[in-house]
Amino acid sequence: MDEKIEKVIPSYDVIILGTGPAGLQAAIHAARKKARVLVLGRPESSSLYKAHIENYCCVPGVKTGEELLLTGMQQAEYFGAELLKEDVVATAALQDEAYQVTTESGKTYSAYTLIISTGVTRKGLGLKGEKDLVGRGVSYCVDCDANFYRDAVVAVAGDGSAAAHGAVTLSKIAKEVTLIITKDLKVNPALKAELEKGNVIMAAGSKVKELRGTDKLDAVILSDGTELALDGLFIEKGAKGAMQLAAFLGVSLDPGKFTYIVTDRKQATNIPGVYAAGDICGPPFQMAKAVGEGCVAGLSAGGFALKKRRKETQTG
Amino acid sequence: MSGDKLIHVTDVEFESQVLKADKPVLVDFWASWCGPCLAIAPAIEELAGEYDGKVVVAKMDVDKSPATPGRYGIRAIPTLILFKDGQVVEQITGAVGKAVIESAINKALS
Ligand SMILES: Cc1cc2nc3c(=O)[nH]c(=O)nc-3n(C[C@H](O)[C@H](O)[C@H](O)COP(=O)(O)OP(=O)(O)OC[C@H]3O[C@@H](n4cnc5c(N)ncnc54)[C@H](O)[C@@H]3O)c2cc1C
Repeated sequence: MDEKIEKVIPSYDVIILGTGPAGLQAAIHAARKKARVLVLGRPESSSLYKAHIENYCCVPGVKTGEELLLTGMQQAEYFGAELLKEDVVATAALQDEAYQVTTESGKTYSAYTLIISTGVTRKGLGLKGEKDLVGRGVSYCVDCDANFYRDAVVAVAGDGSAAAHGAVTLSKIAKEVTLIITKDLKVNPALKAELEKGNVIMAAGSKVKELRGTDKLDAVILSDGTELALDGLFIEKGAKGAMQLAAFLGVSLDPGKFTYIVTDRKQATNIPGVYAAGDICGPPFQMAKAVGEGCVAGLSAGGFALKKRRKETQTG
Repeated sequence: MSGDKLIHVTDVEFESQVLKADKPVLVDFWASWCGPCLAIAPAIEELAGEYDGKVVVAKMDVDKSPATPGRYGIRAIPTLILFKDGQVVEQITGAVGKAVIESAINKALS
């Protein structure tokens, strides 16, 4: 966090993490202000995607989330936002309060402001003994704990970019890495290629059913009955969340559970230029709230970025 | 400033500053690349101020001091360990709220 990277002229005004209703509404409002907007994330991973909505004001009947998201994406693009279906795997602060994100394919993008609207994902698998084994072989954070598993035999459970990216990281540290995928791996081809390069073993179509070990994790049992002897199991569901993307930048999370990002009425976090909106800011988990916060975040971030860009072009 | 009360220890000073301390010592094992560690950092600083004189609050960067975390079998960060007379009396793994840490400290003090 302290080691700021060299000065870069940001190519975007606003980068939005998340293609759910919060992120898309933010994109619409920021783009209409003539900010250069990039939206990252997968609409299929939005909580809204499989929902049916009938309590959203002014939209009659029952609409599928998929339909609403598709419309939102078209609107955002119509107003000039660029959309890219890739997850963010890392964030960094640049000099002079600009930010850089790295996507799952390894590309980097920079902006004067970030809007974090990544929704919420439950982190655990809910298995017996899981909580007791945290720190004793079970981990929820590859970035934090990979170094403790040098030359060890490990597995990562998850179907998204967080698990795949984690497996690649571990492949450079551990002796053997297995990626346990329930269904399909939802990641960019470039990240898939990295997995191959890292000799990550793929256990596709399987779930972790049981954890073995009392003082420490010894093995996991998969849904097809296979037993995998392991030193470590990393549980990384979906894409990277607020902990690694926001807390890493110094953004304050709720002091009780460290799950939600704390914002003010402008959807601004404690870090200048970093905003948040939607489920990631806490309950109620409703589309109307996500859209409302997205609107405010888009206007705030767009305004902040345009002012900054104008000032920099005048002085620079 | 409560931040002034916080001390930073390394493998080298661990014995003298933690194990041989005359007060209980809460050690926060952390690293700069660990988001959850950064998330709880403000709470740790506050606790250092609030328990000043009763409990020493220390941070150990596991990147710079790998021996001590190895000795205590630490495989996930943040890990908080409360030491009293050189012994581990409480251990918490993962980002937990300030209240959870407080109750662990209070239990050890009582
Ligand atoms: C089954 C179900 C039914 C529901 N029914 C209703 C209802 O009837 N009415 C209602 O109002 N609400 C309902 N909801 C809640 C509603 O869907 C959410 O409140 C809303 O989708 C939140 O929007 P969001 O944009 O904050 O997050 P989400 O919609 O979850 O979107 C998050 C986005 O962030 C992306 N993302 C995550 N991590 C990263 C990363 N690292 N990098 C880049 N992108 C990332 C995801 O891919 C996704 O695109 C329901 C939810 C569910 C699950």
